Amino acid sequence: MKLKTAFLFLLGLALAASAAAKSIELLNVSYDPTRELYVDYNKAFATYWKAKTGDDVTVKQSHGGSGKQARGVIDGLQADVVTLALAADVDALYDVAKLIPQDWQKRLPNNSTPYTSTIVFLVRKGNPKGIKDWDDIVKPGISIVTPNPKTSGGARWNYLAAWAYAKHKQGSDDAAKAFVTALYKNVPVLDSGARGATTTFVQREIGDVAITWENEAFLAIKEFGADKFEIVVPSLSILAEPPVSVVDKVVKKHGTEAVAKAYLEYLYSPEGQDIAGRNFYRPRDATAAAKYAAVFPQLQLVTIDADFGGWTKAQKTHFADGGVFDQITTK
Amino acid sequence: MNHSFARQLTPALAALVSLSALAPRLPAAESDDLQLLREQIHALEQKLLVLERKQEIKDEAAAAAAPTTPKITITDKGFTLASGDNANSIKLRGLVQLDNRLFFNDGGIVNNSLVLRRVRVISEGTFAKNYSFQFVPEFGGGSATAASAFTVLDANLGVTISPELQFKFGKFKSPVGLELIQSDSWTFFNERSLVTNLVPNRDVGAQASGDVLGGLVNYTAGVFGGVADGANSTNADFDNEKDVVGRVFATPFKNSAGSPLQGLSFGVSGSLGREKTASGRTAGYKTDGQQTFFSYAATTIADGQSWRVSPQFDYRNGSFGLLGEYVLSTVNVRPSLTGVKAELQNKAWQLAAGYVLTGENSSFTGVTPATNFDYANGTWGAFEVTARYSDLKIDNAAFPLYASVSTNADEATSYGLGLNWYLSKTVAFKFDLYQTKFGFAPGAPAISTTQLLRQDEKSFITRFQLSF
Repeated sequence: MKLKTAFLFLLGLALAASAAAKSIELLNVSYDPTRELYVDYNKAFATYWKAKTGDDVTVKQSHGGSGKQARGVIDGLQADVVTLALAADVDALYDVAKLIPQDWQKRLPNNSTPYTSTIVFLVRKGNPKGIKDWDDIVKPGISIVTPNPKTSGGARWNYLAAWAYAKHKQGSDDAAKAFVTALYKNVPVLDSGARGATTTFVQREIGDVAITWENEAFLAIKEFGADKFEIVVPSLSILAEPPVSVVDKVVKKHGTEAVAKAYLEYLYSPEGQDIAGRNFYRPRDATAAAKYAAVFPQLQLVTIDADFGGWTKAQKTHFADGGVFDQITTK
Repeated sequence: MNHSFARQLTPALAALVSLSALAPRLPAAESDDLQLLREQIHALEQKLLVLERKQEIKDEAAAAAAPTTPKITITDKGFTLASGDNANSIKLRGLVQLDNRLFFNDGGIVNNSLVLRRVRVISEGTFAKNYSFQFVPEFGGGSATAASAFTVLDANLGVTISPELQFKFGKFKSPVGLELIQSDSWTFFNERSLVTNLVPNRDVGAQASGDVLGGLVNYTAGVFGGVADGANSTNADFDNEKDVVGRVFATPFKNSAGSPLQGLSFGVSGSLGREKTASGRTAGYKTDGQQTFFSYAATTIADGQSWRVSPQFDYRNGSFGLLGEYVLSTVNVRPSLTGVKAELQNKAWQLAAGYVLTGENSSFTGVTPATNFDYANGTWGAFEVTARYSDLKIDNAAFPLYASVSTNADEATSYGLGLNWYLSKTVAFKFDLYQTKFGFAPGAPAISTTQLLRQDEKSFITRFQLSF
């Protein structure tokens, strides 16, 4: 009888211990300009998750050029989730290391892109060089700041937006190639990521114009003052769709599959969408999009699928070794 | 990052522009020139900023790449190839000891010799931060276990769980003797004391060890195949039985900076096992001059429990070092497979001291000269004087059934004086003078039948050592 009582007591203890709140840690490996977004979002998600499950979740962040970050995950960086700048970088997790399934993009709405952005120009206050559109920045004597497309997702969006503009205006790939060739001749320094490029333009005071994420441009003005910089919206740009994915092999190893999945799903929630809008990312959700509609200018946006045949093709054509970018920058 | 040059230059350039702006009512041509000048200054400033930013980016990239850039290190501790994050490394070290042994008043025995005592190429490494290996082949001709043949001295794998718990598997030094676990390069004397005759040398097994209580106490516990006193494992188990070996060693004042006791360490080690052999018990106990003064009869075998206990201490205070240990070794033996069993207890102890004359610190891990010997620059390295007393007493019950009373001594008492000259951390000359007196069991002949036991052993051993 005593043995039975002791057994039941121990069993009770074990159940109580297993029912106690857990402390969970996730690593979100993201691209350069999302630092502030995910600081906000992680707090909100931790509160949500605690209320839902009683568990404490801490999300660590890692930021850098999107391509570089993807390489890091492939090389062993233990990311539970990735929130990168473009689908090609997430594709690489499948292509190179089989860390995620091939159809990863189908797992969440909008091809796993919970928010969008676009590419705009950031110029110095008063726009001393009179920059209004893409044609103005390829003129001789204009100094452009944009990061390296080999390492930065944002830089690839910048490049493709310029390409799309030229092709729409002049009608051929050759003209577009000549256009981006002229553009990169005006780039004195290539940072590895978007945040580094912002530093170059804003803090190091290099260049007349920075081609940058819309959210990064808004953030620069918020941080450094509207009296120093202004945003120029070109006549045409590209719809940038930064995707997110759970890194399946890692979450299985860490036992964080459920919380990692919930972490990304919550980005689509009203609160997640509101946080995106608040941090200058264009929300997918209609309510949040309406709330922030006044913030985001309307402009003609091309898409990666329609104009470039998707990321796989665009990556191979333009940014792979020996691709167009290498051709125009290798002398 | 540094972009100070541009920052310093900018005010000067701005002042220049301002001065030019203040110039009153300039003709149109001159005004154009000033505008041109402003533009040129701006362009120059931008170029400068770009150059500095490029360097900044380069530095950041180098810093980010540092953890993945392999490193090659060549120091007086060997050659190391390591991954950028040091998680993986391979180290190559070496040890060469060339001894000249001179014996005085040795009754006509010609034992003087030149010996390559140790020749080792030591490879060590770490993989994935927590897994290590060590491989030490011995090519030296003076090895106690192999007169001239190549032997594998150490071959082991380490697994680090935490500083408190580490595992080692393979062949390595059994953690009983304090002087024995000290590196061959850094003992006070060329040859270890008589005490080392009674402790196991390298053995095959597994052990757990770690630093606990904030690093004040080190423990080791292991299971080994078991070897006879002073013996090395032949890479296979000595018999079907196993030895359990343990050691606890404390440095309680380690964190008491300024205390004279800060360098005091002490502890106790021991082994317990059973042995049953079909052949001889041991190759014999040796003097400081590496001559055998006692060995069991060839037919004597081990049969039964054996255990050892060894209280030990080490003390370092500035240039002064002191090491002491006592060993009691108990073994059950039979004179033959069917003979009468007896439990024998052999005992030994030593006290050894060193003082570094040139002021460097004495250390269990060797003296590091403040300056290397460099005749041209007038620097001489480090000099250390050493002294030692040691004694080994054989259980008299060993005679005459298990060992010959006429060919063996039952006690050896040794005095040693030495001078070590460390030309650098890697190169040293060591000069040791030993005198060993012998005692004999009751019933021994007045004059030993073993010639070398008829007088004290007086030896002078000079060593050239290369150790890195």
